[in-house]
Amino acid sequence: MVRDGQAALAVRAVSKSYGATVALEGVDLVLQPGEVHALLGENGAGKSTLVKILSGVVRPDGGAMTLAGSAFQPRTILDSRSHGVATAFQELSLLPNLTVAENLMMPRMPRGRTGLASASAARLAASEILRRYDLARIDADETVSALSLADRQRLEIVRAMEHATRVLVLDEPTAALSEVEWLFGLIRQITARGVAVLYISHRLAEVRALCSRATVLRNGRSIATVDLAGASDADIFEMMVGRAVRNEKAPRPLRDSAAPASLAVAGLAGGQLKEVSFTLRQGEVLAVAALEGQGQRDLFRILAGLARPAAGSIHIDGKPTVLRNPQGALKAGRGIAYVPEERKTEGILSSLTAAGNITLPVAGRISRGGLVWSGLEAKAAASVAGSVDLAARYLSFPIADLSGGNQQKALLARTLLTGAQTLLLFDPTRGVDVGTKQSIYAAIRRFADAGGSVLFYSSELPEVTDLADRCMVLYGGRIFAEFHGEDLEEQRLVGALVGHAAVPKGMPRKAGLETGS
Amino acid sequence: MSASAVQPLERNGGGRKSNWVRALTSGAAIVTLLYVVLYALYALWEPRALSSYTFTNLINNAAPLAIAAAGETLVVLSRGFDLSVAGVVSLTNVFMAVWPMEGPGGALISLLGCCAIGAVVGTVNGWLVAVLRLQTIAATLGTMIVCQGLALVILDAPGGMVADWVSYELTGTLFGVVPIAGLIIAAVALLWLVFLRTNTGIGIYAVGADEQAAMLSGVSVTRVRFAAFVGAGMLYGVAGFMLSAQTATGNPNAGAPFLMLVFAAVALGGTSLSGGRGGLIGSIVGAGCLMLLQKVLFSGGVSSFYTGIFQGFVLILAILFGRFMPRLFNAGAKK
Repeated sequence: MVRDGQAALAVRAVSKSYGATVALEGVDLVLQPGEVHALLGENGAGKSTLVKILSGVVRPDGGAMTLAGSAFQPRTILDSRSHGVATAFQELSLLPNLTVAENLMMPRMPRGRTGLASASAARLAASEILRRYDLARIDADETVSALSLADRQRLEIVRAMEHATRVLVLDEPTAALSEVEWLFGLIRQITARGVAVLYISHRLAEVRALCSRATVLRNGRSIATVDLAGASDADIFEMMVGRAVRNEKAPRPLRDSAAPASLAVAGLAGGQLKEVSFTLRQGEVLAVAALEGQGQRDLFRILAGLARPAAGSIHIDGKPTVLRNPQGALKAGRGIAYVPEERKTEGILSSLTAAGNITLPVAGRISRGGLVWSGLEAKAAASVAGSVDLAARYLSFPIADLSGGNQQKALLARTLLTGAQTLLLFDPTRGVDVGTKQSIYAAIRRFADAGGSVLFYSSELPEVTDLADRCMVLYGGRIFAEFHGEDLEEQRLVGALVGHAAVPKGMPRKAGLETGS
Repeated sequence: MSASAVQPLERNGGGRKSNWVRALTSGAAIVTLLYVVLYALYALWEPRALSSYTFTNLINNAAPLAIAAAGETLVVLSRGFDLSVAGVVSLTNVFMAVWPMEGPGGALISLLGCCAIGAVVGTVNGWLVAVLRLQTIAATLGTMIVCQGLALVILDAPGGMVADWVSYELTGTLFGVVPIAGLIIAAVALLWLVFLRTNTGIGIYAVGADEQAAMLSGVSVTRVRFAAFVGAGMLYGVAGFMLSAQTATGNPNAGAPFLMLVFAAVALGGTSLSGGRGGLIGSIVGAGCLMLLQKVLFSGGVSSFYTGIFQGFVLILAILFGRFMPRLFNAGAKK
């Protein structure tokens, strides 16, 4: 292995915490000049924090970074850029209301003879840049909001490449690109000049086509740096997921596959969702697993009556149904209730008590003489609090004072109180501690055992394997794979999550590019 | 991320709006058209409308609001609201009435004093918003109340006397035709056009559209916010100066009526109240429209009690119109 002194970028034991949340603890990473190095990891492994540190957006709490042998402590994005380190961000850092030229020149415009920023000089310089990157068809005077998402992504990449003289960071650069040859060609050119590229992508096929080595992050730590040629996909997935011993899955009675369907959708599409069909039976816990942005949000919002599908049909308890709003969903068949992901913004009313939040949807039912008496409210709330393990003393507290876990229990209790027999849970244990997770799982199981149906999405795979009877993997807005019984295990899921079975055409799975050294 | 950044807007080449269509459908163009229409109505009902005297009067009336609206535009473009406009106008008006300074030299010192007052208030606003990260409405509400209070301490009831030179010369005309106030408005517009071609000027649009993306593009968000608030404060100072020339007297509550009208002028001028779109010249013309509307209604025989109702309706209609125009052109381009 080459010593740090010759490396383009060396990161040693870098750590970063946000308050009590540890985002990174001990990340090591070495990039050689002219190398395309992959950074792999699950959602929340710390990839984006590392990108922000390299770009100078956030400063690490500990550890050291060297750039071509000398200390590298970027304080701002311009600082980082002036050292030759530039990033194409996943969320795109373009200004939609400015022109292509202005975006490319940001933050300093070329000056004309008057000493003022000159639109014509900017246009000229930008056209020249676009021409060099084979994008002459993009008009430098066009405002960015008029460009397609793919062209915006290209612009973001071009801007980073313009500034990257030592290290180029590409964070999910192909998310909006349908063909990757343009990008791959540019990467070959830039690495030929000795620039090191840190390539972040969840598409393993791309990573194999482009990169020679990969560093795997898990829970904020760098687990290993591997030669991709010598590592199988299964090895890599195992490193990403970890080998941690986990509890035996509780034995579950086999579901009656002839049980009546409480929810059946066919050809459902809308938003990012393209043609999804499945059936959810009574007494079944069905999981949806997916990486960010594969259409899971649209699926849940459509089923909750919050969004209209573009196509497809929904049958609830055997009857074709059009869901107009959440109230409608609650009344359809045996009722569908949705527990949203964003507790703070979509779920709770922070100025009310826990009991008030729980009884909100049934306020009309428990009122007497048109008024909701606090005694009635407390009684109704207490009747369901037990089923979700929420201590009765919390009921009179303002819900904002409760921990995240207890808020989630209260939301679940509220959902149970509606009497709906089909629950839609979007990431039900996000930001919840382990103990609370177990009692939420138990509540969900009890609900299913009593004949209810549950459809849930989770960003955590152990949750999927522990809780679900069956799991559908969404990829690119379609059901990419389905697992049940013995097949429902983490490593298989990880493969399916990244669309593993589908290698894009024209992209041979080989060890990678020649890096020249 | 803003919603617009997520929409896939796949467009075929050649579907681009030409520059003149874009210019004609801009907020500034629409509000200028509105001004011309209103002026024509005014001329119809009031034959003296086309005289130099009436025109000068109109410009003098509109100048304080126009310059204050110009200042507010800077803050609104960077996605913020600045309520301190009312406080600064009151404070500078009181300053002018309590410490009158005669002659052109005195006027210049007064003007610089007004600008300095505005700059100090703007700096405090910028510090509260950019450094302490207060919400713009909360921070500027605080400074507005402080300034109003200060004005009352300095002058507890309407009174005082603005320097004669200021109240005569600045409301007069150059060569008998060009209103001095108009020249000052033109100077503000010219400064804006220069500022628009600086990195900070472009930075204001960047920060207003998406603060996070602007930061990731290397724009110093703190510097841009400071610049917007300080620039705005100085323009409010100039507005207070012009108001004093107009009224020739001091009133500790002189700025209060500006608060709502300034936002109306900005919105009427085609600047998006959510930031990132619009311009200062539109706001100036927008202020002109609001003041002209009063005259038109008066000359049309409508009681002045109805002025507010009409101003509100015109504002809403102009915004609807501004939204409708580009769609109309887009629909035409698709065929």
